[in-house]
Amino acid sequence: MFFALLAIPALAGGLVWTNKNKIVIHLTNLFGSLSLLVFSIIALIEISKTKVIDSTGIFKDLFYIDSLSGYILFITTLAFFLVSLYSISYFGEELRRKVITLKKLKLYYCLSNAFVLSMILALTTQNMGVLWIAIEATTLASAFLVGFYNNKRAIEAAWKYLIICSVGIAFALLGIILLYYSSTVALPGAKISGLNWKFLIDNASALDPSILKIAFIFILIGFGTKVGFSPMHTWLPDAHSQAPSPVSALLSGVLLNTAMYGIIRVLAIVNKSLGSSRYTGNLLILLGILSIITAAIFVLVQQDYKRILAYSSIEHMGIIAIGLGICTPISIFAALYHTFNHAMTKSMLFLATGNVYLKYHTKKISSIRGLIKTMPVTGVAFVLGVFAITGMPPFGIFMSEFNTVVAAFFSKMYIIAALLLLFLAIIFAGFIKQLSQMFYGRNTNSEIKKGELGIIGPTVLLILLCITIFIGIYIPSPFKSLLDATTNIILGIGGK
Amino acid sequence: MYNNALNLLSILILISSFNLIANKRQKAYISTFRVQSILLALVSLLVSVRSMTLNKKFDAVIIIFVLIVVFKVIIIPFVMKRTSEKVEYSIEKDFFISIPISMIICCGLVLLSWYVIYNIEGITNTNAKNYLIYSLSIIMIGLFFMISRKKAIGQIVGFLVIENGMFMAAMLTTEGMPMIVELGLFFDLLTAFLIMGIFVFKINNTFESIDINKLKNLKG
Repeated sequence: MFFALLAIPALAGGLVWTNKNKIVIHLTNLFGSLSLLVFSIIALIEISKTKVIDSTGIFKDLFYIDSLSGYILFITTLAFFLVSLYSISYFGEELRRKVITLKKLKLYYCLSNAFVLSMILALTTQNMGVLWIAIEATTLASAFLVGFYNNKRAIEAAWKYLIICSVGIAFALLGIILLYYSSTVALPGAKISGLNWKFLIDNASALDPSILKIAFIFILIGFGTKVGFSPMHTWLPDAHSQAPSPVSALLSGVLLNTAMYGIIRVLAIVNKSLGSSRYTGNLLILLGILSIITAAIFVLVQQDYKRILAYSSIEHMGIIAIGLGICTPISIFAALYHTFNHAMTKSMLFLATGNVYLKYHTKKISSIRGLIKTMPVTGVAFVLGVFAITGMPPFGIFMSEFNTVVAAFFSKMYIIAALLLLFLAIIFAGFIKQLSQMFYGRNTNSEIKKGELGIIGPTVLLILLCITIFIGIYIPSPFKSLLDATTNIILGIGGK
Repeated sequence: MYNNALNLLSILILISSFNLIANKRQKAYISTFRVQSILLALVSLLVSVRSMTLNKKFDAVIIIFVLIVVFKVIIIPFVMKRTSEKVEYSIEKDFFISIPISMIICCGLVLLSWYVIYNIEGITNTNAKNYLIYSLSIIMIGLFFMISRKKAIGQIVGFLVIENGMFMAAMLTTEGMPMIVELGLFFDLLTAFLIMGIFVFKINNTFESIDINKLKNLKG
């Protein structure tokens, strides 16, 4: 299982170099991503029976999947599969226009597989040190993807991304060193397993709370940089707006969740050791509210539609952080549910911007008019996506945001709930004011012909749209039990 | 004896990072980085030799020693010197904040790290506490170095100094993380260095300078 999950992206990333036919290259990657999706679903089925999947043999204790990592793994592979499908149309079109060469296409597939490989490693390991290494590796694999077009702006964004994330994440390592120190002091026999999550959570009450508190701050700052919490978010809008759209979708829909996963793992240990969630909760809620405020302010002044979506990612990570910070069963359920909704909706929006960019050749909102008339499917998906991401029913995001607010009320955090509602309203207004002009009116540029580009791109958008609507109306029972199991893991309820 | 030697070495590493702040030219701070790496290598040698004589078996930290010597003492400074020769157009002032003020700020950073670590009640071992204070200070100074330099090379050196601080923390407080983690860490950071180096050339080609101040297209 673990071998397959790690070998597939490595193989697919290598195999794309061996062929010269672009269709074969596209299909290699697509097949790889599809089999990853299949394997992650198999893993989920196995988890529903046995609760955890452990590795044996020489890698004993290194790999470990439970509901939490299985769930994020499922989101990752699902998004990667859809993005791979979309890439065929996006990069196929760019190849046709000679914006990129065949070599660049291979580079894209190779690096995106490396990117996914490092995320899968982060999600399947239980060693906190290896988790850190894998999350740092995601930065390295995606730096060239952000700077893919090699123009001034792209290189600037990539450099910022590389430097800010590598430095930020250094603090997380310091936190992990402290975590390891606390486990070697409290439990001297456990040299090798001292960094294993299972070991740490089982012995959480023996660890020293004062060390864990400071370790949590370091880890929150470190991984929080990667998640995009304000005020460490400055790399995020640049990287998301300058990367090619499929890469933006991966960054926003998948990478942020993986970094958040690192925080969740530590959160569970620290909460269990401290015996309450007050300390971690306050920190998370503070960062969450700050992120939402930052997003609300910056959404209002952007001129670039991809940057608006990037700020919206910061906002949604803030909402997830608040859900985790409140730390009641409802709020954690809402945070996890929100993770899925956000990943799907934001991927859809970024992929839609890819279609728009290919058509209009600009990222400026002011030079785009009459989108719905020009590109009916993309336009409609984009409009509905904007409503979904700002929290309109019947989409999934509405349900999870609603649950978060309800959870805040139940925990008597009225100010938090009020702030959340206020800034969600501001962001909604900002989105509508900023983006609505793109959709209506008449397209003045006569060079832009009506019609979609190809059939694959719009299809992917429709699939994602269906997922977001479906999950907002009805949560299937296997999905619900998965979310419940994950909530219990984070709260530390249930059997070992 | 052993702890005294380690204390001395870690203080020397801290002083070398102060020295780094005082360096004006690119070449000078690359040399300072090399000195710091030699000191770090000595620390790892000391840790591994002691654990080998105590436990009478092979200790994996010695591999880290070899890696530090090969990469951080020899290859990375060499590559950086070559790079800085290639991309340096004119010798100009490379810092925002004057050196005396930088020094005072760094003293403040050391005090800050001392305050943060000293107040953790859970660390009862005084030596571990000291090592953590030194390493956190080095990390903070590296961070300050990064934000106070305008050239891309300066930022890379700052990153490498932060890395040195992390290695020091890992080695001294816990006597080495599990081997797989240490090795993974090392190669991760090596790749990070490589990629940053490639980006320096890219920045140099597209912006015709490695002055980070020119990277101002993306705002807000």
